[in-house]
Amino acid sequence: MADTDARKRQVLIVEDEFVNREILKAILSPEYEVFCAETGTEALRILREQAGRLSQVLLDLNLPDMNGLEILRTIRSDLDLSRIPVIVLTSDTDSEVESLNSGAGDFIPKPYPRPEIILARVRRSIELNENRDLIRGTERDNLTGLYNREYFFRYAEQYDAYHPGEAEDAVVVDVSHFRMINERFGWVYGDRVLQRIGTALSAEVKDNGGIVCRREADTFQMYCPHRTDYEAMAERIAEAAGGDGKGRVRIRIGVYPEADRGIPMERRFDRAKSAADTIRSSFSENVAKYDKDLLEKEIFAARLMDDFHEAIEKHQFVVYFQPKVAIQEEPARVCGAEALVRWKHPELGMVSPGVFVPLFENNGLVRKLDNYVWREAAAQIRRWKDEFGRAVPVSINVSRVDMQDPELEETLRRLVEDNGLDFGDLHLEVTESAYTQDSEMIIRVVERLREQGFKIEMDDFGSGYSSLNMITQLPIDALKLDMMFIRNAFRENGNTGMLKVTLDISRYLNVPMIAEGVETEEQMLTMKELGCDIVQGYYFAKPMPAEEFSKYLK
Amino acid sequence: MLTVEKLKEWGADTGEAMARCLNNEGFYLMLVGKEMADPNFEKLDTAVRSGDLEAGFEAAHSLKGVLMNLALTPLSRSVVTITELLRNRQVPEGGFDALLEEIARRKKELNGLNQ
Repeated sequence: MADTDARKRQVLIVEDEFVNREILKAILSPEYEVFCAETGTEALRILREQAGRLSQVLLDLNLPDMNGLEILRTIRSDLDLSRIPVIVLTSDTDSEVESLNSGAGDFIPKPYPRPEIILARVRRSIELNENRDLIRGTERDNLTGLYNREYFFRYAEQYDAYHPGEAEDAVVVDVSHFRMINERFGWVYGDRVLQRIGTALSAEVKDNGGIVCRREADTFQMYCPHRTDYEAMAERIAEAAGGDGKGRVRIRIGVYPEADRGIPMERRFDRAKSAADTIRSSFSENVAKYDKDLLEKEIFAARLMDDFHEAIEKHQFVVYFQPKVAIQEEPARVCGAEALVRWKHPELGMVSPGVFVPLFENNGLVRKLDNYVWREAAAQIRRWKDEFGRAVPVSINVSRVDMQDPELEETLRRLVEDNGLDFGDLHLEVTESAYTQDSEMIIRVVERLREQGFKIEMDDFGSGYSSLNMITQLPIDALKLDMMFIRNAFRENGNTGMLKVTLDISRYLNVPMIAEGVETEEQMLTMKELGCDIVQGYYFAKPMPAEEFSKYLK
Repeated sequence: MLTVEKLKEWGADTGEAMARCLNNEGFYLMLVGKEMADPNFEKLDTAVRSGDLEAGFEAAHSLKGVLMNLALTPLSRSVVTITELLRNRQVPEGGFDALLEEIARRKKELNGLNQ
């Protein structure tokens, strides 16, 4: 008996009259596991206990302790119970309409119709509901109960169809640094934050119309009639998300306002996402709109990425060299150069690395570009060796992405060997932020490279967050001061105190200091006086093509 | 002893009621036996006679559902009538006495079938 019951669906009969209850029980028992309640209180108790398993409730409206409609409304408004379908048992035609309006799926009149009819109605009700559950299960995100991305797009299309001529906004809502919320407070808390955001977003569209979904991880989407209160909305959602106040949650909203219905729905949200991404690292802006400028920027970025491979093949990337000058020597002497890349685009002209490097960093193309620059630089060192009979050491940038390349050491070793260079001819610039973001891995790789004989320069020193204690333990051969130090020290009312401190550090570490961004004579003389070993900057020379650099050397 | 034949002879629509009870004679008769002791008969009578039409309606309404399910037509006919009057708080000409007596008489008849 227990075995068969375990496989049967559960039905709850709520009916205070013994005869009516027993007849229904007799009819349903062969097919279902039947629970009975004589009062509303008992019904609610069983509902709570069996919530997850009940497939159907048959509900009489006249109960001794409460009105059946009250129970119906409780079921409908309770998240755990609302999925259970209810059939109302009634002998009054008036109550039929009221119970259907209150959320009953069907009714069975009294006197009861033939048992086959009752069974058929219960079966159909359960089947409809299970189909709906199935659809809901596939179209909903488990964590937040919102639509998932795929179904959202379909419903958004429908939304358009039902709202012709209306202007809709495509909105993407992101949590800034959500990973840190998980790291600091744990996954469970992170999930709660996402659930609270889901609830807050549902509330946003409840009154004003629209639909929402969880796009992925910590990103949500909303499609709604055009509105202008996004700043306030970001505040409301952030406040709701913070909930118990463990940490402030920062919400970033990207809006594609009055989205063009001529482009596919997914693209409309990609645009909103692009807008949201533009303020990814801003702490002052919460809302960004997608507009013409952004569109043009995106088109330009896409074009550059499309052209990348051809540019590599056709050598459109040109390596420039900026001299590094040893200023403590008399006379000052060019002691090396930094290799810097430029893009001579056949149609767009000179494209600044400030524009294309961040683009390529986002998609891994940067590794290919770096390799290209290294090859060009190594070949140039060889040519200078031949031309001048001495080496001009060149520093090349090695990014964090490059550091993850298991082939890195081999690639660099081959560069040196193929061009007949000494390892000391290639200086590798590794940014301070790379050291702090992935310390252990970077330090391991850098140590091996140093053992081979490469010189390591810590680039952008002072712009990262390394502790003084950590710096003393890092394997480095030179500190390259971030150019902001020079700028700040020499602006109006600036002072050179910080420069002195950084120079003290380099002396303590017993490595030379290289100052970037030295543009004026005053700056150069001050740096010299303070004891800086090497400077780089417009005061001596701009970055220049190899041929010009050769002339400069002469 | 109560039998389906006796009920049918009395006027119950036993065909309909037996179908509802899955043609299980014993089950049907057990339910009818149980209904004979339904306290709502007493409640209906007392409430209406004391002028509490609301309580009267509740009792009548409950009785109506059960009696119709058991197809005890001679008794349910007058219970349906009084239920509708009470629902509308409508007092018939000459009061409820005649209806209450009719119900009591039919109830007595039904009880008599159990002898």
